[in-house]
Amino acid sequence: MRIAADIGGTFTDLVYWDETRAQLGITKVATTPANFGDGVIHAFDQAAPEADTVDFFVHGTTIVINALTERKGVVTGLITTQGFRDVLEIGRANRPDIYNMVYQKPPPFVPRYLRREARGRLNYRGEELTPLCHEDVEACAQHLLQEGVEAIAVCFLHSYINPSHELECGALLRELAPGTPITLSHQITQEWREYERSNTAVLNAYVQPIVQHYLASLADDLMAKGIARRSLHVMQSNGGSATFDAGAAFPIHLAESGPVAGVIGAAHIGQLIGEPNVIALDVGGTTAKTSLVQDGTPRITTEYKIEHDRQSAGYPILVPTVDIVEIGAGGGSIAWVDSAGALRVGPRSAGADPGPACYDQGGEDPTVTDANLIAGRINPEYFLGGEISLNVERARAAMKRIADAFSLTVEQAAMGVIRIADSNMMNALKLISVQRGYDPRDFVLVPFGGGGAMHCAAILRELQTRKVVIPNMPGVFSAWGMLMTHLRRDAIRTQVTRTDRVNPHELDHIYQEMCAQAEKELLAQGATTNAIRIERYADMRYWGQEHTVKVPLQNARVDAGALQSLIAAFHDLHEQTYTFRLDTPTELVNYHITAFGRVSTPDIPKVAQESSSLADARKGQRRVCFDTADFQQAEIYERDRLPLQQPIPGPAVIEESSATIVVFPQQTLLRDEYGFIHIQRKET
Amino acid sequence: MTMDPFTLTIIQEHLQSAAIETFVRLGRASKSPIIYEVLDYACALLTPRGELIAEAQGVPGFTGVLPFAVQSIVEKFGADQLRPGDIFATNDPYAGGGTHLSDVCLVGPIFAGEELVAFAANKGHWTEVGGMAPGSWTTDATEIYQEGLQLPAIRVYEQGEPDSAVLDIIAANSRLPDMTLSDLFAGVASIRVGEARVRSLCERYGSEALRASIHQLLQQGESVARNALRDLPHGVYEAEGFMDDDGLSEEPIPIRVRITIDEASFTADFSGSSPQVRGPINGTRARLYSSTRVVFKAITAPQYPNNGGCFRPVKVICPDGTIFTAQRPAPVSTYWETGAAAVDLLWQALYPIAREKLSVGHFLSICGTNLNGMREDGSLFILTEPQAGGWGATSERDGQNGLVAQGNGETYNIPVEVCETRYPLLVDQYAFHIVPEGAGRFRGGRGLVRDYRLQCPTGHVTTTYGRHRFPPWGMAGGQPGSPNGVAIIRAGDDMPALWRGKLTRYPLQRGDVVRIITGSGGGYGDALQRPLAAIEEDLRNGYVTSEQAADLYGLQWKDEEACVSPLNATSVNELIKASEGN
Repeated sequence: MRIAADIGGTFTDLVYWDETRAQLGITKVATTPANFGDGVIHAFDQAAPEADTVDFFVHGTTIVINALTERKGVVTGLITTQGFRDVLEIGRANRPDIYNMVYQKPPPFVPRYLRREARGRLNYRGEELTPLCHEDVEACAQHLLQEGVEAIAVCFLHSYINPSHELECGALLRELAPGTPITLSHQITQEWREYERSNTAVLNAYVQPIVQHYLASLADDLMAKGIARRSLHVMQSNGGSATFDAGAAFPIHLAESGPVAGVIGAAHIGQLIGEPNVIALDVGGTTAKTSLVQDGTPRITTEYKIEHDRQSAGYPILVPTVDIVEIGAGGGSIAWVDSAGALRVGPRSAGADPGPACYDQGGEDPTVTDANLIAGRINPEYFLGGEISLNVERARAAMKRIADAFSLTVEQAAMGVIRIADSNMMNALKLISVQRGYDPRDFVLVPFGGGGAMHCAAILRELQTRKVVIPNMPGVFSAWGMLMTHLRRDAIRTQVTRTDRVNPHELDHIYQEMCAQAEKELLAQGATTNAIRIERYADMRYWGQEHTVKVPLQNARVDAGALQSLIAAFHDLHEQTYTFRLDTPTELVNYHITAFGRVSTPDIPKVAQESSSLADARKGQRRVCFDTADFQQAEIYERDRLPLQQPIPGPAVIEESSATIVVFPQQTLLRDEYGFIHIQRKET
Repeated sequence: MTMDPFTLTIIQEHLQSAAIETFVRLGRASKSPIIYEVLDYACALLTPRGELIAEAQGVPGFTGVLPFAVQSIVEKFGADQLRPGDIFATNDPYAGGGTHLSDVCLVGPIFAGEELVAFAANKGHWTEVGGMAPGSWTTDATEIYQEGLQLPAIRVYEQGEPDSAVLDIIAANSRLPDMTLSDLFAGVASIRVGEARVRSLCERYGSEALRASIHQLLQQGESVARNALRDLPHGVYEAEGFMDDDGLSEEPIPIRVRITIDEASFTADFSGSSPQVRGPINGTRARLYSSTRVVFKAITAPQYPNNGGCFRPVKVICPDGTIFTAQRPAPVSTYWETGAAAVDLLWQALYPIAREKLSVGHFLSICGTNLNGMREDGSLFILTEPQAGGWGATSERDGQNGLVAQGNGETYNIPVEVCETRYPLLVDQYAFHIVPEGAGRFRGGRGLVRDYRLQCPTGHVTTTYGRHRFPPWGMAGGQPGSPNGVAIIRAGDDMPALWRGKLTRYPLQRGDVVRIITGSGGGYGDALQRPLAAIEEDLRNGYVTSEQAADLYGLQWKDEEACVSPLNATSVNELIKASEGN
């Protein structure tokens, strides 16, 4: 049995797959903010699966991102190369809010007095210029312990190419500060840029004791229920899973543990229906998140930052992370009128408390959910399967503010709010696709979360994605996606080399070494040798450029021929991304490998074909605004009763307990053999 | 045609994201570190008349120049002579280029069918455009002809095809032709993206709707500016000051401004400032407009999406031939010092009425540094980078430590590991520079010190650091900050051989250290009112040393870790009063 547990702001979802019965089960319980693990246990108790049959338990956790954004980590110290303790505070010194003359930099997670220096220096080739000074390390350790640090990060210049000083320092620290968790920067990433690597090491150290405690306590509870320790896994930011032990060792890899699962699920949907190119869109209460899956693989970035926006430089985390564009557009996003008199939606959100005005919990601001309710799209008696009864009058009263500002009707105002929310989501989709050199018309949109299915019709019309495919149970889709994950380990190493000066054998040697290391780690996590699959990439550029293009290396071994194909592939990819190619030498910057430890994932069962007709699914009619502010009489269907493989013309609204699907007049919908809803443009 | 408010917002968002996309595209494709790492460039969409529609930029003040670039192209060629696929280039400082020869503006008209609907334009600092010094800027040029290749509003792409003669001329005039041509291609790629996005907007909404939306958006920008203007205290505000010198003499350069704010306009009059000077520090009119716009934006609506409407109330007065409005053939390659000086002058004049939106004086100078030499294999390297430094305190908090100057924005320092890999240099330290200057109730932010040790046989360094002689200003009793400067420490020596603001192709040998020091910002309020807790925190973190604290506050501290207040006083001032009472 496989079990996935996903902790959201309001609910903790547990989805399980019982192979022997070919049965999928879902449990939803209230999230328990005081100790998130309690919610997982509650859900487990409620689902009551046979614990001894659980061979894969996977958990998506927000513990890392919460500890970071709420500044609830431990007192952390940093040891770095002499002359460079201020690198962490200088950062990249940029001012993103360029007209703001009182801009404040994001303060570092380690204050200056806890940043200490040691003599010892390598050059850019990794050659030692000055040996590491042990007395300095001792002095650093003594000072930091006196100041009460609970975790120590170490980052030395050029450790990405030669980690020996960091290793030496780590060994000393384990003697000098026994029991204090130590993070050596190169163990997390072997990419260059000292600020980014230092910050990554620091954030890892800052959350490590918290995560260790959390996972240890959850493991105890789950083992007490009878689940074996080796079955326990966490989701990582790279979209793969790792064992609890591996996760606790470098918890910074878990920063996006929650959101990535949906992307993996979307990739899996694509695979099932034969559509390898997918854009995932997760619309929640506060934000919309979107990611791109190409040829079945989610796009990965190492330029991930937290708390980064147009007004703040944020904090870089140099670990492979599924490339997610997140914007402040969700069901709770508040509509407002700016100083120039223009309508804006978000990024401020009414959240879950007080929530949209229609929740009738004291919220007075008009939100996207209020707009969808006024537009007749949401059934007030069937929101979250009827768990919350919505108050239309509250929604209208809130929306009247917007209507009055523009001398419009409340309905017109509501449609305006919806259109702007749609447009914000489309801009996010464009960021993840066109801005990275992809054409949305080559992709299938997979929307999920509470609001995805309500906004996808407009996106289909405007961005002309191939189609929209809405998974089953879009409300618990993240947990479902987790069931589809494999063990995954990424390794990246910077070593800048011109391709016309590189010896293919040396190149091969580096890849072999990295692969062997990753394989070893996966085996330690319980993967079997023949289930391990490794993908190789090279981050390449034209000589003299800075930014790189990630090029897949097709061959398992590198020889002269493989190198030539790699270079040819780079030219093509560069042209695809930047519209031109050059006749200049090319350069290898990073070696990147991704190792998967494949585990058996559920075979998604097909829906038992019943001889249902459309009439059985019909729930009645309702007046609904689709793409204009005019109400139309529309058919309302219950999703689970829709007949299979039968095209149904829009306009229509399909209801299910966790979501509402809106289909525009020029669109048709179809429920496929898996129960997924496909929306397409009507053939003209 | 009047747009409904929602379509208007949607079109605005689309235009904004199109501008950002052109920006990302340019930076990613470039081969010049000053572009891809430092982001010393800007991209914008403009109306057929050259008014800004939407911008994305690394540095404030760059897009302020682009309208002049577009206008100069339209004037020279005539709107009816522009064709789809054309791209024009200008770097003429006195006209459309507006800054110096290294900053090349590329301009592409965008057509929907037959109709010219907009321009996509960008301006980037190309690392090499020839001239008397590698990197195309220096401190001792006396006429523009020494400063590089001039591109006086010319067509470089005709209906999609590059003019190979022009490309050959550009390549032949550059010391790093590969890098320079790549900068051109990156700029062209960016314009093509802008073109595609605007065209698809026209297809979706129609060109008439686009035109109407742009018109309304500019009106909205204007109304935001006018509302803000109404809320500012009307009156006349003045400031005067000095720039260090022109690089060829020791004479300080007097500058002044007189700002008049009334219901309808914001007028900055720079009359009375120094005539243009012999050295290359001169600025030109387009940049003066741009400087004025930056400050106006900062005190009115800094976060409102920028467009041409936001600046309609702004007027600039300045006779020709001043340091701010130099005429051909005055050299201009280090114009940015003058652009920054204009900003600082306006800033100082307006500080009393915009305290919550402005900090006090900061290190200001971009601290342009050009370190070049031959690698062991005989190839030329040029490190060109701006520096970060200390910002001034505000009336509510201490200044920021180590932040790029106002003239830079989304601009990044070069990582030490990247720097050492790319150039034959060893960085000995990159740290805060701990000085006593900038004390106050709120103290100035700390400047930086960065040591470059030369690892190849010979090299040269050129610097132009303003505020070497006239440090950042404090306010309300806060003390001035510290100066910017560069020191040379000869191989084997401990003590600097010299300490200067400007260096001109100064010769270096292997092992010599170039020590770059940027200023601390000015302080705000009386230092004696600084809370003891804040002083303790400073001591603990080493933002001041105990000796400095003893001098500054007239008190003895036990050691750096602890200062004890026997009287439970919360500020030095209270402590003094209390001890006087005893």
